[in-house]
Amino acid sequence: MTRQTIVAGLITLWLPLPVSADLKRLDDNAMADIQGQSGITLEMDVGVSADRVSYYDDGQGVHLEGFRVGSSVTPDAPAHHEITLDVGQDASLNLEYLVEDRRIEFGDVRLAGAPDVSMGGLFLDQSLQGTLTMRSGGATGHGYTFDTAYTMTGGRLGYRTNGNEVFLDDITLTVEALGTTLDVVGNTLTLNSPSVVGSLDVGAIRYSGNSLNHGRSTDASTGALLPSYGGLSLDYDLSSRTDLTAGGRSGEGLRIDHETTIHSASFLYRDDAHTLALRDMSGRYQISDLRLDVDHDWKGRPALALTLGTLEGDLHIGAIEMGANGKSVGQVNVSFLFKDQVFNGRTYTNAVYLQGGGHPDAGPQGLRMAAEWSLSLADLSYTEDGNRVIFSGLQSWGQGDITVNVTRDETRNGTRFYDGLRIGFDGVKAGYRINGLKVGDENAPLQGGTELLLALGFYPAYEFEMDGHITLAPGGATGEGLTVNSDIQLHNGKAAVIAAPYDEGSGDIPQKGLWLTEVEYDGHVREMTLDVTDEGLILGTGESWSTMDIGNVRVGDKSSGGSFGRLVLQKFEKGSTMTIVPGGAGDVCAGGVGSSASACAASGGIWQQRGDEGITIRLKQLLAPADGSGRKNAIAWETNRSSDGSGNAVNGTGTQLVLNDIYTSDGGDFDGDGRDDNTFGIRTDLSVDVYQTKVVKKTDGADSLGVTGNRGDEKIMDSSVAQGYRYVANPTPDEILDRPLGFAVKAESRFKELSINRVDLVHPVGGPQTAIYGIKMQNFDIKANLTATPIP
Amino acid sequence: MIRHPGTAKYGLALAMLIALPSPVRAELASLGDQALSDVSGQGGIYLSGDVSINEMGGPVENSHFGRCDDATRKCGARFAWRLKETGGWMVLDDIRGNFSFEGLTLRVRHVDSGFGGDGELFNRDVLELGLPNTVRFNDVRFKIAASNTARPTDPGFLQTDIFSVEMRGEVVMEGNLLVFPTGNP
Repeated sequence: MTRQTIVAGLITLWLPLPVSADLKRLDDNAMADIQGQSGITLEMDVGVSADRVSYYDDGQGVHLEGFRVGSSVTPDAPAHHEITLDVGQDASLNLEYLVEDRRIEFGDVRLAGAPDVSMGGLFLDQSLQGTLTMRSGGATGHGYTFDTAYTMTGGRLGYRTNGNEVFLDDITLTVEALGTTLDVVGNTLTLNSPSVVGSLDVGAIRYSGNSLNHGRSTDASTGALLPSYGGLSLDYDLSSRTDLTAGGRSGEGLRIDHETTIHSASFLYRDDAHTLALRDMSGRYQISDLRLDVDHDWKGRPALALTLGTLEGDLHIGAIEMGANGKSVGQVNVSFLFKDQVFNGRTYTNAVYLQGGGHPDAGPQGLRMAAEWSLSLADLSYTEDGNRVIFSGLQSWGQGDITVNVTRDETRNGTRFYDGLRIGFDGVKAGYRINGLKVGDENAPLQGGTELLLALGFYPAYEFEMDGHITLAPGGATGEGLTVNSDIQLHNGKAAVIAAPYDEGSGDIPQKGLWLTEVEYDGHVREMTLDVTDEGLILGTGESWSTMDIGNVRVGDKSSGGSFGRLVLQKFEKGSTMTIVPGGAGDVCAGGVGSSASACAASGGIWQQRGDEGITIRLKQLLAPADGSGRKNAIAWETNRSSDGSGNAVNGTGTQLVLNDIYTSDGGDFDGDGRDDNTFGIRTDLSVDVYQTKVVKKTDGADSLGVTGNRGDEKIMDSSVAQGYRYVANPTPDEILDRPLGFAVKAESRFKELSINRVDLVHPVGGPQTAIYGIKMQNFDIKANLTATPIP
Repeated sequence: MIRHPGTAKYGLALAMLIALPSPVRAELASLGDQALSDVSGQGGIYLSGDVSINEMGGPVENSHFGRCDDATRKCGARFAWRLKETGGWMVLDDIRGNFSFEGLTLRVRHVDSGFGGDGELFNRDVLELGLPNTVRFNDVRFKIAASNTARPTDPGFLQTDIFSVEMRGEVVMEGNLLVFPTGNP
């Protein structure tokens, strides 16, 4: 590769293709002759279009169709460019540039092997002003060194399929990258950026379902501002290195190795005047052996293939802030490693095969990603008020098609679509599992605790096959925000309610637990809004209904464990909400009753001040009465089923106990509409903290780690002894300060009235017989304050 | 009881007994089976904490229900059911109280030895609820009653309180409750 070629390529990184074409007319030697002169100013109006730009790899092509560079304001007009170019005393090439209202776009990305469908189009609008200085040198002394700084304003970045589009609007981007070097080392082109500092602001993320609109903030028909998902801001200080090498996973192609260190960053999501902020971020990631090929996926479909060797990294988020006062939930740390690994006897890798089409009924444009992933290991830790809990040993694997379309509210080719960005799942077989919780640090013993989060639908392990979609529409309950419509089906699910570790330190073992297996799930959500408010993050559901048919509730192994029978859970809710609020339980009387330290102590409790951080989740579940179409809340337990020829229980052949038509109400018709009011529902406040707790030895003698003590002694942490703790009969006030940390969950559930219409016993031949003609529960307020620690 | 799994149709039903003081727990306490089985998995949880019902009252405030500092209202929860379509209602009324504990454990374990030789034959996984040695009850109370309507605010409401239960103090609950399936699922 010649130096001239490198120069041309690098300039192309900063400036549009037509400009670099103009620059090529001025070769380096000619420019060297004008050293010390006042420079050259170029003013250009650039308009370029091409029907097709193609890339071929081993004879297989991918085409960018409808390529255009021109004005973003006036269709078919050129974009204005001004470039001032001179050569400095140190033989450096200096460019100052101004680009006004430029659009770069292509209407379709199409694979030569699949000409009937495309991936959709992309467009980028921008006004740019900046400088670029280039001099010889590089990291090796034989390359180039660059300094650049620019500001992009009025930017838009959009994705369009079938006349609908989603785009980032009103983008402001600033970048300063000093000392960037470009070298050829062996057969590798190395770009090293020791300092990249800047900011990104996205005024709004907008959606248009009107095909007359293209890259405009307002609707062409009404003139109104297009609805918004909210805005984003990002500040960053990075350094990075990228190596590019010729050669794909097979034959021709491109190999990319990359690493980035995030020295500092912050991220803000804005919804109207409210902010969700991730602050004090730092971390790093490294991509090794990422290959780009035009190839075929595992089903033989033509695709643009991105196949990965490994991806590993970590991310630290110093504070997650939300609410009116920017209160912090706490800190989060994530470490991850994606690499090939065997799960369930099969090797999974990391690859994405990009194809055209999306959902087949949505139109010819859309994106289909045949994806396979293998998260070999990840740890997720959460720290609040200085105390830490680690969700240890998270693994995930899967394979299947994910489709992306921008859709509008319509029934098209027999499929119901909704406004927004539609993410579809087509035959996705996936799973995840965690090894357990660790409280305190990485060296703490594994323990359970996720059982306390079951009310949130959290399972410590889950395998499933998934079809369906989630469609994200702009606009929340008020103003900006998100609205979600989804239809999800899960098949052959295996979900752990309680799970023992899959690795106790000696490698993989069958994960024991209490499992929900042979799960068939069919769930629907309509008009679920997501908003950031003064209080926190609020999810409000217009209507949701689901059926979870659990073929077997097994104890022990997920496939062969003994079964308690079949369980069918039906849910039907209208107007339910979930609010995520920063701050945990606050002051708690553990093991006693009282709202002050003295009253708590008098009742035998322990007064705990769990601090300002932590997280509280407030659920309001409005269970709707059966609506006659099959949607209702019900629980059915079936046992004594007949078996088929393979020994599998046949659903519907056994005896069932059915809690039929469960619903909430306020206890009367107070608004006079002829129906009981249902505004209160079941309200559950669930606060999560990491805090000390009292752990008492249950038997005399040695525990599982050999630490001895008497029944009734308290466990006190002590780093000076071998296992890190000892047992004390009567702890002193100082020793009480060293009680072990636990995963603390405080829950309070309240409802005014919860009714069960009837309880039926169903015989497979005799049919249903009602055993209880109505249950009515009123005025319940149940509080549970539980702290989970390892079993000593 | 755990020595003879066949005596219970489904072990899950045993879990319901944990909340009720009965001789079952005394019998379970006599099974010091820590050494009688292998423990599969070092996970599991040890729970400390408390549970309370209507500590200060429930969410309903009307002519019948109120806060606990209002002597003219009931502040406990109410649970009513009827066994005949046109019959009256059985009621657990004015339910409230608090209990606390340290050492309720939960895990999955494999039983393949012990239990007088039955464990080797048993040879399967169970859900183990390790009972806390001591549970402290604080003003746990409820009434059993019969009523002509489901709601105490319904027109013509009449109720006969049959008897009341109050519990306070410490209850010893030792041993493990093993929950496992039997029979045809």
